[in-house]
Amino acid sequence: MLPGNGGPLIRVTRLSKHYSNGQGVIPVLRGVNLEVRPGEMVAVMGPSGSGKSTLLFILGLLMPASSGNYQFMGQDMLALSRAAQAEFRRRQVGFVFQNCDLFENSTVYENLEFPLVYAKVERQDRPERIAAALQRVDLAHRIHHQANHLSGGEKQRVAIARALVNEPLVILADEPTGHLDRTHGHMVMDHFSQIVAAGDTALIVVTHDPQVAARCSRIFSLEDGILNEN
Amino acid sequence: MHLGDLLRVSIRQLLRHRRRYWGVMLAIAIGTAGFITIITMGRDLKKNFNRDLELLGKATLIRVYFEKRPSFAYQRFQPSTLDALRRLPGVSEASLVAQQPWVLASWQGRDYNLAMLGVDAAFWQVNGLIPRRGKFFTPEDLRFSQRVVILGPELARTIFGRDNVVGEQLTIQQELYTVLAVLNGAGLGDYAHFAFMPLSTAENRIMRISPANRIYLRCRTWEDVSKVAPLIPGAIQAVQPAQGLKVEVAWEHLRRVEAVAWWVEFFIYSSIVATLILGGLGIWTVMMAAVRSRTREIGLKKAMGAEDRAIMAQFLAEAVCLSVAASLLGSALGFISVEVTSLLIHSHPGEGLFLMCVLLGLLVAVGLGVAAGLYPSLQASRMEVVSAIRYE
Repeated sequence: MLPGNGGPLIRVTRLSKHYSNGQGVIPVLRGVNLEVRPGEMVAVMGPSGSGKSTLLFILGLLMPASSGNYQFMGQDMLALSRAAQAEFRRRQVGFVFQNCDLFENSTVYENLEFPLVYAKVERQDRPERIAAALQRVDLAHRIHHQANHLSGGEKQRVAIARALVNEPLVILADEPTGHLDRTHGHMVMDHFSQIVAAGDTALIVVTHDPQVAARCSRIFSLEDGILNEN
Repeated sequence: MHLGDLLRVSIRQLLRHRRRYWGVMLAIAIGTAGFITIITMGRDLKKNFNRDLELLGKATLIRVYFEKRPSFAYQRFQPSTLDALRRLPGVSEASLVAQQPWVLASWQGRDYNLAMLGVDAAFWQVNGLIPRRGKFFTPEDLRFSQRVVILGPELARTIFGRDNVVGEQLTIQQELYTVLAVLNGAGLGDYAHFAFMPLSTAENRIMRISPANRIYLRCRTWEDVSKVAPLIPGAIQAVQPAQGLKVEVAWEHLRRVEAVAWWVEFFIYSSIVATLILGGLGIWTVMMAAVRSRTREIGLKKAMGAEDRAIMAQFLAEAVCLSVAASLLGSALGFISVEVTSLLIHSHPGEGLFLMCVLLGLLVAVGLGVAAGLYPSLQASRMEVVSAIRYE
């Protein structure tokens, strides 16, 4: 269900994250504010170690924030139980990581089936949804291939299809073109653009590549834990 | 996660990494096969072991007799007493015997003193004796008091200077007797020096022979001996007077046999348990290794929305599938082993017992899989997502 009256999908206010080690506290994010609306493509740029991935992980509830507020469709995300966090990841979020991270010994079909298994989608409904997701990244013909037989670009497109298969409201992509050459990088961004343009899915992509960021509607930079819109 | 998906994914995982799991599977399968064979064939093996022990000693033999005392009446056992004793649970056979330790015999002008036993048809089986040459008494010999005799091999050699004496004539108390057989058998013992004739012949023709006042009882297993012995006086008193009755058991012999058997069983069961424990440790080790090598996979699945319990269920299901598959393999090996053992000892255990053992083996396998897979599964389920995703 999308937020009514054009409200933000994601609203983050004064979000902070710090790590503690034996010698003291290391701040990573300092009072981050961010709003993302349905159908937006948002890029977060910054140097290595600036906290881009940490922000993405917090938005995907893979990591807890130290303080601040995070609302998704008006719901307080930081108060969710572990089970509710898993439910949120199953239903609302799709992740794409830098290393493709497919299950190498499984087929493309099996890779895309896992999110549906965890979402308890009936077995007979799965082939259609998997085929549709693969269609969106032009890889329907690879459905029964082994994942470890695919090229790097194909693997990343399968990872995108896997992120899409449960029809999430937001895709969180961590350096999705980091390991790809320019041609395949463009191809991946083209697919992201088509997906966002086709519906209300939002995309937040973390990158240090200006060309990737240029494909997004809004660009933020993260430096010293502070997020600024360019 | 649906149960069907859980099993499908687990079995697929096992098949794809089957090389990793072969050793563990084999260990559990051997343990299960041993377990099934021992339980299914145990009773028959014990019976066979008993039969073999009969050749070596008298552990399962009980002697029942009337003590000779001047004040006691002259007593003999009735045929109905013998039947009552045969009906006791744990008794495999019983034999009635009369004896005369000094019987005059002669052959070619030379005299000999024979130790003579009058025996019934069950005597040979009760004492584990077989004919080396010739044959045992026929029912007609027993019924019509025929003048036939069977000799121990040493006695045959003493009288005739050889043991191929079947058909020879021997004079006993001035009557001619035909030698029917010469005995053999590892359990022969003192009987090598004895002469045997049908009980009816001995009672009707041999002077001053004792009444049939001695019964030999053979129990099925040595475990039955201590249960049968206390029942004997009551069973006899229910049929006839039992004054001066003596029940004699080779307790020391029995205790030694039981001790040996206990240790044999202990070592067999210990080896099975040890094999299963090793199998369990094997499952634990390979599952721990699997959790470590699949750390990124666990992180990714959690990022997709897998709950902790789904991750735990998956690894637990893999461990259980592994042990159950091993148990099924063990059941197949056990079936072959039971069939081979049955052929070797000429025994056919019930199918019900075999199926019960297979079921028990499966239950043990499920327990083993759960016990061995629990900790690795817990480890997997408790992993932090980000650390797992970033694991190299």
